[in-house]
Amino acid sequence: MLELTEVEYRYLGARTPALRGISLRLAPGEVVGLVGASESGKSTLCLVAAGLAPRFIGGTVRGTVMLDGQALGTLPPGEIAGRIGIVFQDPSSSLTGIMSTVFEEVAFGPMNLGLAREEVLARTDEALTALRIEGLAARDPDHLSGGRRQLVVLAGILALRPDYLLLDEPTSELDPAGARLVADAIARLAAAGGAILIAEHKTDLLARLCTRVIALRAGQPALDGAADDVWHNPSLTDLGVDPPTRIRLAILARAAGVDPRRLEAVG
Amino acid sequence: MTHLATEGLVHAFPGGVRALDGVTLDIAAGESVALIGQNGSGKTTLVKHFIGLLRPTAGRVLVDGGDAADRHVADLAGQVGLVFQDPDRQLFSGTVRGEVAFGARNLGRRGAALGAAVDAALGAVGLTMVGGLNPYDLGRARRKLLSLAAVLAMDTPVLILDEPTTGQDLAGRDRVAAVISSAKQAGRTVIAVSHDLRFVAENFARVVVLRDGRITADGTPESVFAESGWSTLAETGLEAPESARIGARLGLGSTVSDGALVQALGAAQ
Amino acid sequence: MVLATVTALQATLLGGLLGPLVLTGVLVIIPAVVAGVLPRLLRTAALVAAPLAISALLVNFFFTPNGATVLFQIGPITATAEGLRVAVEAAVRIAAITGALTLFYLTVPLGSLVVDLERRGVSPNATFVISSAVRTVPAILVRSAEVTDAQRARGLDTEGSLRRRLRGLLPVIAPVLLGSIAEVEERSLALEARAVARRGTRTLLWWPADSGLERFSRWLMVLSVPLIIVARITGWLG
Repeated sequence: MLELTEVEYRYLGARTPALRGISLRLAPGEVVGLVGASESGKSTLCLVAAGLAPRFIGGTVRGTVMLDGQALGTLPPGEIAGRIGIVFQDPSSSLTGIMSTVFEEVAFGPMNLGLAREEVLARTDEALTALRIEGLAARDPDHLSGGRRQLVVLAGILALRPDYLLLDEPTSELDPAGARLVADAIARLAAAGGAILIAEHKTDLLARLCTRVIALRAGQPALDGAADDVWHNPSLTDLGVDPPTRIRLAILARAAGVDPRRLEAVG
Repeated sequence: MTHLATEGLVHAFPGGVRALDGVTLDIAAGESVALIGQNGSGKTTLVKHFIGLLRPTAGRVLVDGGDAADRHVADLAGQVGLVFQDPDRQLFSGTVRGEVAFGARNLGRRGAALGAAVDAALGAVGLTMVGGLNPYDLGRARRKLLSLAAVLAMDTPVLILDEPTTGQDLAGRDRVAAVISSAKQAGRTVIAVSHDLRFVAENFARVVVLRDGRITADGTPESVFAESGWSTLAETGLEAPESARIGARLGLGSTVSDGALVQALGAAQ
Repeated sequence: MVLATVTALQATLLGGLLGPLVLTGVLVIIPAVVAGVLPRLLRTAALVAAPLAISALLVNFFFTPNGATVLFQIGPITATAEGLRVAVEAAVRIAAITGALTLFYLTVPLGSLVVDLERRGVSPNATFVISSAVRTVPAILVRSAEVTDAQRARGLDTEGSLRRRLRGLLPVIAPVLLGSIAEVEERSLALEARAVARRGTRTLLWWPADSGLERFSRWLMVLSVPLIIVARITGWLG
């Protein structure tokens, strides 16, 4: 269990906290969506939950962040990486930038863990296979499309075999083909029982995956509940969030006095 | 107002890759045109020719009937405003206001006229209240709106936007849509390169599809996103907006926007 | 390969007139032919070395003091045979040095340099900084071109007078620097997520091939450096 309780986080030198009153539990097998306007705290929440803030970027945190019963702040650096994986928006600044093949790029994390050579090779193969990019193993990661590059980044994290996966707008910088590629891969990981927290503007992707959704406003939870309840909440658009297409259309239809049932019938 | 055209435009990058392979396009003053297609299909390469940042390998680019090859970028910039996709490749000023004033000042605006242009541009993107902040104190989505304001303040007859909605939330998309709408009303030409086809259908009268440096479709959103065009879109990795796909499945015709779909549904009932 | 080229460089620095030419031939041109990179090597090295070599040639030719054999005179400048000799030597040395460095750059993949440094006990953090620095140069060039495009689109005149162009420096340099710093920060977080901060040994997947012959020639070259120094000091080599 990855558990945040009453977390408040303040960036170095900031007058107001970027997060306040955040309580969140990510249990094994659970897929939680995180939505909210730009600068509402989604990325910051991912950094805090991954143990990167405040450890590597400074600032102060109050409340507790617990990983399987241990306080995140007490774990040695580098150990958290093997248990909590995090993927950011921009794949090009997430690659190591020094590895000349996809295979080495993906192996980079397990190599840092100091595992036996055979174990590193096995994990790398496994991660590449899970994302169906075995065919790219010998390619230069810098010469791949954005979508494929993001899959390489994701594979590099999966090779660490984290128990919890935090995805911060993993498709927002990609073109539609790339975004579909990454979204399908995430859907397969979710179906395989991974514990995933995913921040996204694209609620259609979240609607496919999430059982639970949290909406942030100015660093605080504004909505938190079963996905369907959050999507249907009338205040969602005021939070800067576009509901998933089906729900958006049904709301529009009702407002225009049109019966939305035929829309909902289209699968 | 400005008339843009290309005639048999070819652009080959060093190494021989033909990013544009014979593009002939005519955009009348005041049109709103969306360029769509996969990454690498040549959209950004095409728009860079209108302001002279790239020069044709073969063919011609015409701005108001004159060959753009005869003009400097700094000169074309007074007619064609181009907002790049990544705001962080241009923001340099210590303040938001200073950043917005940069382009307008380069075009020779000074004093009260400059102040008014900056105010109007900041107002249009909703950044009036943060004019004194450092651009890097804003989040990425607002930095992107700032780079849009910086070109708006130049008040060019042509406005070109490269992926204006990437990373924007609902409110940010609405801001961009409002900017496009008022530019259209003022008679300015608006061109956007975009992957966001729902946004395209809602805000543009004409859609041009590029694939491997050639135009494969050109028409209204209703015609380009109609079921008959889906295979052309799929070739370049695109899917028609969901409202169009649902409308087609319900036999309601080419309903390219949410509003059109709901209206057609109401009419059918 | 790493040491071979560096040694070639050191030896060249100390050689006489014919020395650098022979060294360039044996240690740079022949390996380049073997590796199949001779055309690229010549092109790149020429681009880097030509301006340096030409200026060195001119400066040494005309300004070497105490030349006895006067060849010709232009105003106050006297061209001497000694000056010519020093000038040619300098130019040849520059050619040898750039040739060796270019050969290294063209034939050693960054990945194997990293692995090799680590295997030799250089800390992973240090190797990372070294290899990142090597990679940063092309990235900054690309970024500068993009920033220049964006600012020109906002009417920045980069084609006008020198004064105008100087004024245009800040709008180009600032986003390049700020953007590079931001990217480094993003990348460092992404690397933390890949466990770079973990203490202890790292697993290495492979070792660059290092045959007995390679080891032998490397030591031979390392030993040749002090030998040449001694020879130069004692005047045995002229």
